[in-house]
Amino acid sequence: MRLLADIVLMPLIAFITGLFLVLMYRRVRAKIERRVGPPFFQPVYDIVKLFAKKTQISHGVMHDLSIVLLLGGYITAEIFLPVPGFKGLAEEGDLLTLIYIMMVPMLGLALGVGSCANPNGSIGISRALTAMLAYDVPLAVAIIGATMTYGTTNLVEIVRIQQEGGMATWGIATMPLLAIGGYLAVHGMFGKEPFEIYIAPAEIATGPMVEMSGKYMGALFIMQCFQLYTIGVLYVTLFLGGGENWPLFLIKVAAVVFISVAVTNVYGRYRTDKVVRWMWKWPTGIALLGLALVMAK
Amino acid sequence: MTDKPLKSHVRPPQDTMPGGAGQGCPAPDAQTRSIWRRIMDDFADHCRARSLFVLHYCTGCGAIELPPTITSRFDMERVGITPMVTPRQADILLITGYLSLKTLKRVILSYEQMQGPKYVLGFGSCTINGGMYWNSYATMKRLDQYIPTDLFIAGCMPRPEAVQQVLLKLIEDIDAGRANAWQDYYRNYDFYLGNQQRLFGAGWNTPTDVIGEARHYGYYGPGTEGEHTRLLAEGGGSAARLAHAEYPSTALTGRIKS
Repeated sequence: MRLLADIVLMPLIAFITGLFLVLMYRRVRAKIERRVGPPFFQPVYDIVKLFAKKTQISHGVMHDLSIVLLLGGYITAEIFLPVPGFKGLAEEGDLLTLIYIMMVPMLGLALGVGSCANPNGSIGISRALTAMLAYDVPLAVAIIGATMTYGTTNLVEIVRIQQEGGMATWGIATMPLLAIGGYLAVHGMFGKEPFEIYIAPAEIATGPMVEMSGKYMGALFIMQCFQLYTIGVLYVTLFLGGGENWPLFLIKVAAVVFISVAVTNVYGRYRTDKVVRWMWKWPTGIALLGLALVMAK
Repeated sequence: MTDKPLKSHVRPPQDTMPGGAGQGCPAPDAQTRSIWRRIMDDFADHCRARSLFVLHYCTGCGAIELPPTITSRFDMERVGITPMVTPRQADILLITGYLSLKTLKRVILSYEQMQGPKYVLGFGSCTINGGMYWNSYATMKRLDQYIPTDLFIAGCMPRPEAVQQVLLKLIEDIDAGRANAWQDYYRNYDFYLGNQQRLFGAGWNTPTDVIGEARHYGYYGPGTEGEHTRLLAEGGGSAARLAHAEYPSTALTGRIKS
């Protein structure tokens, strides 16, 4: 019964937090550009509007199923996240399960886009999967380093270790190089500049999303809420001590997203090959150095 | 080019039978909705009015007035209006200026790809009466002859304030449930297709099955099918050849394949 309540509530809270993160993302961006920015309920308006479209184009069964994979992947991931006050499946699943599940949405998107037969979409998704290959390497190194430091892949255990030892045992203090490398990978995972070549509105018309209309686009907007939240929580769990209580936890998650949003506006776009080269050079290099330090301890 | 509608193409009256042959999701009559349905519709309209994605069709010179409208000087995002780059995601098709025969085809293709409710804004005098291109042989004069247009922005060219005013008017109309010009494309498809065929030839065809959509969504009206849509059913081959014989000016236009 408790598990059932958690399965319902955890994605719901993730979604609502995600709405705030999207709002923050758009407001901060507007402030940097000296604009007023969207009203408070803008993310809700967007999603309701998209779901209230009166006509709808589908490109076949695979296109429909991709939405199930997209949202299903993230909703499942929410249940495995260690958040304060909820047990969910965080104890049963572990870090590797979570990372595995977090790849499902992108692959789902790829399957769906493939059935659209739009060249912009195909280019976009090939770029997206290449970018995923790029940022997954430093992320994997950071995760390996973190599991070596904590001696476990159990997420609840990782959070407990950091909270019992106080701030001195937070991942960011015990393995700063891994935290930096991991953060750069996380910035790539958010898919914002300079790593947003696969969306590139001016060149390939939002790439994978080009054929997504109405309800499909609404599902993608919801996915964006989940994405910001999930990646933020993953980073907070590994390096920022997890959540002691909800206010502190949300501040940490928002901070992770905020730093990424705050730097994103000053960049242009890297080409796909440059994304791969940069990701495999700097974040991977820093993370590998961090891993060497962790192993030497 | 004279693009007055032909006499036989007089627009049918607006009162259409709702869901004439609709078998998909018929749109209920505004008067007979249940209270629950009315609340949901009002809520949806409320959200639609506050979240508008604009597809800018920027072949005309008026496009230069849009960057100030979007960016920090006037900031359209304050009222929930964001630029979008693909017709599939967009709600508003903003036509900035004149449309030549060639670009009008692209506009119609883009318009048919958009998902309803969708709105068209004609920007500048070129879309209203041809403007300074009135004597041109290759530009169309009235946008609303070819696709249903919600609002026009007068001026050559209109300033960002005028653009904002029209967008606010559109928001007001959507909120009140009045911005339903897009349904007119389904209900009077024969009228619009007839005018399109006059420019592009009888072989003109688009990948979108508008009549099928009209049936499916319950917007089928007495004006959906007629003498011009019959040409569609005859297929491109012979009709296209006929068109070349009958309308020499359309020799440059081909049949659009999906």
